[in-house]
Amino acid sequence: MSMTATAGRAHADPHHIGLVVEHPGPAPKRTVTAYGFWVFLLSDIVMFSCFFAAYAVLADQTAGGPKGSEIFEQRNVAIETVCLLLSSFTCGMASIAADVRNRFWFYLGMAVTCMLGLIFLAIEFREFADLVARGYGPSRSAFLTSFFSLVGCHGLHVSAGILWLLTMMAQVFAKGFRADVLRRMMCFALFWHALDIVWVGVFSVVYLLGSGV
Amino acid sequence: MLGKLDWSAIPFDQPIPLIAGAVVLVAILAVLIWVVVKGHLPYLWHEWITSVDHKRIGVMYILLASVMLLRGGSDAIMMRIQQAVAYQSQGYLPPEHYNQIFSAHGTIMIFFVAMPFVIGLMNLIVPLQLGVRDVAFPTLNSVGFWLTATGALLVNLSLVVGEFARTGWLAFPPLSELSYSPGVGVDYYAWSLQISGVGTLVAGINLVTTVLKLRTKGMNYLRMPMFCWTTLASNLLIVAAFPILTATLAMLLLDRYLGFHFFTNEAGGNVMMFMNLIWAWGHPEVYILVLPAFGIFSEVVSTFSGKALFGYRSMVLATMAICVISFMVWLHHFFTMGAGPDVNAIFGIASMIIAVPTGVKIYNWLFTMYGGRIRFATPMLWAVGFMVTFIIGGLTGVLVAVPPADFMLHNSMFLVAHFHNVIIGGVLFGAFAGFEYWFPKAFGFRLDERWGKAAFWFTFLGFYVTFVPLYVAGMLGMTRRLQHYDVAAWRPWMFVAAAGMAVLTIGVICQIVQLVVSIRNREALRDRTGDPWDGRSLEWATSSPPPVFNFAFHPDVRGEDAYWDMKLSAQQQSLDHAAPEYHDIEMPRNSPTGFTCAFFATIMGFALIWHIWWMVILGGVGAFATFVVFAWRDHDEYVIPADEVARIDRINLEERRSLVSMAGTI
Amino acid sequence: MSDQTHARSEHDIAPGDEEQHSVGERVLGYVVGLALALLLTATSFFIAGTDLVWQPSIPVALIVLAIAQMGVHLVFFLHITTGPDNTNNVLALAFGLLVVFLVVGGTVWIMGHLNQNMPPMDQIMPMRR
Repeated sequence: MSMTATAGRAHADPHHIGLVVEHPGPAPKRTVTAYGFWVFLLSDIVMFSCFFAAYAVLADQTAGGPKGSEIFEQRNVAIETVCLLLSSFTCGMASIAADVRNRFWFYLGMAVTCMLGLIFLAIEFREFADLVARGYGPSRSAFLTSFFSLVGCHGLHVSAGILWLLTMMAQVFAKGFRADVLRRMMCFALFWHALDIVWVGVFSVVYLLGSGV
Repeated sequence: MLGKLDWSAIPFDQPIPLIAGAVVLVAILAVLIWVVVKGHLPYLWHEWITSVDHKRIGVMYILLASVMLLRGGSDAIMMRIQQAVAYQSQGYLPPEHYNQIFSAHGTIMIFFVAMPFVIGLMNLIVPLQLGVRDVAFPTLNSVGFWLTATGALLVNLSLVVGEFARTGWLAFPPLSELSYSPGVGVDYYAWSLQISGVGTLVAGINLVTTVLKLRTKGMNYLRMPMFCWTTLASNLLIVAAFPILTATLAMLLLDRYLGFHFFTNEAGGNVMMFMNLIWAWGHPEVYILVLPAFGIFSEVVSTFSGKALFGYRSMVLATMAICVISFMVWLHHFFTMGAGPDVNAIFGIASMIIAVPTGVKIYNWLFTMYGGRIRFATPMLWAVGFMVTFIIGGLTGVLVAVPPADFMLHNSMFLVAHFHNVIIGGVLFGAFAGFEYWFPKAFGFRLDERWGKAAFWFTFLGFYVTFVPLYVAGMLGMTRRLQHYDVAAWRPWMFVAAAGMAVLTIGVICQIVQLVVSIRNREALRDRTGDPWDGRSLEWATSSPPPVFNFAFHPDVRGEDAYWDMKLSAQQQSLDHAAPEYHDIEMPRNSPTGFTCAFFATIMGFALIWHIWWMVILGGVGAFATFVVFAWRDHDEYVIPADEVARIDRINLEERRSLVSMAGTI
Repeated sequence: MSDQTHARSEHDIAPGDEEQHSVGERVLGYVVGLALALLLTATSFFIAGTDLVWQPSIPVALIVLAIAQMGVHLVFFLHITTGPDNTNNVLALAFGLLVVFLVVGGTVWIMGHLNQNMPPMDQIMPMRR
């Protein structure tokens, strides 16, 4: 029995929904892959929101230790923010380069993105190391626990992103702009932009709001 | 060198786990040796372990769930016996052992029985019902399954190497913090759930994307089978809720490993925040479990009543309403923690509201049955049994949703009876119904009806004999998780419950016997056409089992109950079509990525539990290397030539033609 | 699963993809997004540190600016639009945001009440007489 249904059936639309746009069938691979990654990103955002929630609850539990306003350095945060924002821009450039198959601009865009990401991580690492050395590590108080965890979780994601970035550069080098490599590049770009969106939340809620605490 | 691990980890001084562990080890070794000696290993490796076929992965999920059901059930038997004998006595299980048993029972039943069972059924059936060839991400599917298996392995390993958590299945702090649980038990619990949690999330992403982006031509959202709608809702919940579990367990692990202060009593930690976050996951979790069961019942009731599902659109609305509201009720798990009357009232009302869409579903099933030609095959028995049982469980749920009532009943045996009522009556009955209903599709032969019916009746009756006494005991003031007690009034009820457990066990044995008998009689029970139940949806349009590519041509769907329409039209047209033109089909290649990834995850998990840091790094590097190797492969698909497709498809067409010409009318 | 040969416009667009414009137009989109984001960032930092605004409004202003900047990212970098081919992407985002709001908002509300009614022992003890 052939699977094509017959035309002209009276009972085709029992619920009479009216003008029904016939579903064209399964979506192309690029759409499917990107949408799946989009759904993953949303799950990651939910996970971040738990750390945000914990921060909101524990922010004033300083247990005799320092408050946010006593340990946050606005200048460093500003530099980190600009670095990450610029890296989103250069990542966008690399995406466009990949779409038009331009190797030079792709490698350049990715390399600059990597640099900016590493600068971000270096500043953040220095901030953490400095706090720990002064005895204000995450085990000092619940506030510091939640601070280190939220900001550290973001930093871990950025580190994973850098690893992925380098892998993408290696993939393009080895395989060229093949369809599956392009799909992965698209997912990487989604990831990198999402990390910058999360950082907007972090610097606003933790550093800027916290500086008034 | 080996962190905290030494010979004292093996319970040489505790006979029960020692003997149980030894028996299981011998059994596993025996099976492995038999497999290797008989030469089945290459077949298993190529056809099952490295398979990315959703049908194979679905079967493996269900196999895992069934085996773990026996483990979780054994824990339950031990608990019932202990509570029957431990009146003014210590019973046969010391407290530190009893506490591990009820913790393992809950953890295993929720995470390694119920979840894999429903995920397995969704994996097996949804692509077939949608008329497509596989899920959105086949290799990722394999990764998800094997990571779940890793979690199950670690939990079971704790029986013989170390200990399990003694905290209950949700590991509340401060008991689960390092100072009160210094052993490895909570670590086994937390790492096992973190690893399998990744697997579950991956399955969630896969199924959401499949339902939303991979449907055959003409299958608009409102033409999808109800099981696909509940799959969508359940997996949206997985994607939204499991990150909360991941984050919360991570916080607990940070407290335990690095001295953080999320949930500690000192330095400003907040113990209550754990309860809040874990139940924000925990409540959606139970809807993740029950929504697919609802979907199964929609399919079963409609098929065995010979009628289209009544009120399809209201079912869809009810499903999505449950999906959203399930995120607004979680505080009802801790009414007594002290948030106050305002907060309690809001969540109490929301918890009652969520019963309404479920009620809508029940009415729709009843109206589907009304006026239909009902056949009481085994799946239909499970469906009707579910309706009776789940209504009672739901009513007791609405009862405890009232905060003042809950202040009396929180953490009593009444509560235990309630949640077993809805989980067994809802999820387990649904899983068994789905198992009976779709077994022929997966394996090509039906299950023995007599043993199936016996399994149903023993399980159904056994459930009531076990759990109604627990309702009574709860009303008489008995709290949960008691290793011993000295209130005489509770004792007779504990005896009845233990007797009920025996009846339930017979039910489980009947299931096993059913399987054995059916396999032995499989030729007599063979399903030749692929449509043994006169089904209504597209999975019954394939052969049993379906070919690896599911459909030779993507079906073109014109209405709801797509396959039913096709059967009617085929009957009218007497099946005279021109021979169709077959095409080559590309299918994803099998891959060892999933298994290898899980192998390294097991190493990492074990090493993290026992603080063997060099092994952690080794496992992590291995897992990353696995991904890189996977990313580097050049050939991810293989081609099935058109002739082969034609050959396979024609066999099934012949069987169907002969059925139609023999029967006349379907 | 071979790629479809249907026209692209019949299908939803992948999240992150944009309708094919020229390279120049696409780069311009990112430049505008960058400029807006930098502006919003600078405003946030300024507001947080200044005495020129009414102090109690600062938290609200920071949150509004943050949401605005997230919107800029979504539109200019992630190309999320309200077109019919983007509906699935927007719906998924909306569901995610709903859950975030429920989890964060719910937690803050619940924990606030719990902390008030059930303070930790080191705060109860000094209350005793």
